[in-house]
Amino acid sequence: MRKKQAFLLALPAVLALTVFFLIPMLYILIKTLVANGLSDFIRFFTDPFYLDILWTTVRVSLVSTLVSLLLGYPTAYYMARTQSRMKKVMMVIILFPFLVSAVVRSYGWMVILGKNGLLNQLLLGLGLIQKPLSILNTETAVIIGMIHLLIPYMILSLVGVLQSIDPNVEYAAYSLGAGPAETFCKVIFPLSLPGIISGCVMVFTMSMTSYVTPKLLGGSKFRMMATMVVQEINVSFDWGAASAISYILLAVILLIQVLVVLSTAGTMKRLGGGKNA
Amino acid sequence: MREKRVNIFSTIVAVLVMLFLIAPLVVIVIASFTPTAVVVFPPKGFSLKWYENIFSSSTHFMEGLANSLKIGLLATLLDILLGVTAALSVCRHDFKGKNALLNYFTSPMYVPSVAFAFVLLQVYSQIGGVPGALRIFIGHFIIILPYIVRNTVSVLHVFNWTLEDAATSLGANPVQVFFKITIPVARPGIVAGALLAFLYSFDEVALSSLLSTPKFITLPIRIMNYMELTFDPTLAAISTFLIAGSLVLIVLMDKFVGLDMFVK
Repeated sequence: MRKKQAFLLALPAVLALTVFFLIPMLYILIKTLVANGLSDFIRFFTDPFYLDILWTTVRVSLVSTLVSLLLGYPTAYYMARTQSRMKKVMMVIILFPFLVSAVVRSYGWMVILGKNGLLNQLLLGLGLIQKPLSILNTETAVIIGMIHLLIPYMILSLVGVLQSIDPNVEYAAYSLGAGPAETFCKVIFPLSLPGIISGCVMVFTMSMTSYVTPKLLGGSKFRMMATMVVQEINVSFDWGAASAISYILLAVILLIQVLVVLSTAGTMKRLGGGKNA
Repeated sequence: MREKRVNIFSTIVAVLVMLFLIAPLVVIVIASFTPTAVVVFPPKGFSLKWYENIFSSSTHFMEGLANSLKIGLLATLLDILLGVTAALSVCRHDFKGKNALLNYFTSPMYVPSVAFAFVLLQVYSQIGGVPGALRIFIGHFIIILPYIVRNTVSVLHVFNWTLEDAATSLGANPVQVFFKITIPVARPGIVAGALLAFLYSFDEVALSSLLSTPKFITLPIRIMNYMELTFDPTLAAISTFLIAGSLVLIVLMDKFVGLDMFVK
């Protein structure tokens, strides 16, 4: 009776996902493989042009993740420990851009970083530079936009973990003679590892698959995996290549998820439980 | 004394990060009121003419807004039905393969939306004649389903199911139990999930840009298309309009579910 109930409750979602998601995903994968064999995939991994796009995507994602972690960690630590009303204000500021579309946020950076943009107006006005810097339509602009887009995810996942670390644990370390650096390395950092891992994975995967930010801030010559898929479809009309890139991107994301599940299981065991998982 | 040093460092970084996060939004709002086509700071004067543009039919922004709202609301409503029943099935009952089923419900989260969009595009081109609104709707209702499932599960996870049995033994019928006990308990999760799901759909670009037809275009795609042709403060005006919408949403969220639910 109960089993039947569970089955009936799960049925609508299972049907919808199978018909509109699983079957199309598998069908097109099989169709690509039947039509062209592995040739599109082989072309991807042998052509320096495509490998360069993969490397650019990984590089941008790694830098964005690292900077988000380095800036996000102290921010989250402050938010987790502060008693002031600033916390609420900061929470709103973090959630606010998080709720504003990526198109709008990229537009804001275009106004700031463009050739006639605010940054150049400011630097020229102060006489710090002689001719305008070109930041927009470079990798730097994409990384700035990406960090702006994704650092809230990092901060939110770190605040949760840091809040659950009892401040007395830190005081205990101090009273036993550990300095701030030692306390951080041996106490706070290991305890916050689950939050670091989940934050980094989130930021890295979202950056790997991002489309809007590289398209708007990178310009027409800057290519990442997701923008390349669209370009192959709309500009080169090379659907074989678009398929190969899509499934390779999907495989990379799934691989990361599997690695995370395997590695965090170990971390959890070492830290004695998965309270913050 | 030692802790203070740590706190000063983290305070400075926190303030800088906040400035970094808020800067582009402030710039957009100021830019929307400048009278000149190129945004200069400080602005030379004050003008509302860019706001007139976003309501004029030539930009198609309002038409795009209507389309985005339609898709977002319908997809969210359908997914509340699918997602809440799905969450109940894995939370209320214990059976083999429960975790696998939950992973299946949330699997669209792990698929890059551009890859899923391209798969749908190929399927549609094989079937032929699928209208634009439906093309986008199918993509959206699939990719936002995980948000509702996950948020509902996170609430039901800690629900004491004996409450349902207690209600039954006190004479409530299954329908009463469902609407008077289960749904009110799950509500914060459902509301939070529905909000996130709606926002995802409303802001979604990769999928919509591949699947939209000239007759049916959502607001973010309209804005991006406009950007490619003209780069004037009309963009700042429509952006400010959307920022104001988010502000209203944050206030509502704080009131109904509390902002702490985002700290996981």
